[in-house]
Amino acid sequence: MKNFQANLKKLEATDTQVLGVSMDSPFANKAFADSIGVTFPLLSDWGGETTHKYGIYSDKYKAAKRVNFLIGKDGKILEEQVDDAAIDPSKIVDACERPKLKQ
Amino acid sequence: MKRLLFTLTLMCAVLSYPLAGANKEPATMPKVGDLAPDFKLQYLDEHGLKDVSLAQYRGKKQVVLAFYIFAFTGG
Repeated sequence: MKNFQANLKKLEATDTQVLGVSMDSPFANKAFADSIGVTFPLLSDWGGETTHKYGIYSDKYKAAKRVNFLIGKDGKILEEQVDDAAIDPSKIVDACERPKLKQ
Repeated sequence: MKRLLFTLTLMCAVLSYPLAGANKEPATMPKVGDLAPDFKLQYLDEHGLKDVSLAQYRGKKQVVLAFYIFAFTGG
């Protein structure tokens, strides 16, 4: 989440809303956001319904896997990063900046 | 005999039905180009709990949805 925070200005400049999601309670996520200085919403998927819907529930962790989705304004998925590849979000940041370059 | 066979076939069909349903259950990860499943989740800010849905950004903003394992873990 820190890596997204570091790139937040770039992402916001490309009309992109960043949302973190985990199966923690809203209270744990608020404390987490405050402790690492994250200013975008960390959503609580308490019970895991959304995690299951996206097919990324991990039996090993009993929680969501680390996955980033970039979703376009039309609601379609533009990019995905899974597990270790999801730690560095530069692929997502680059993809966000791409449409801007075309203009 | 015919009737017994029919009953057995029917029983097999009825008994295997819940198994077929269970196998269908685990959703697979949507692929690039797929429509992202909608959701409605909450987060807490200074003013209290806020609702966020994917639908509210449709046609307005791109969305980065970053799933992480647990709060207070790295990344």
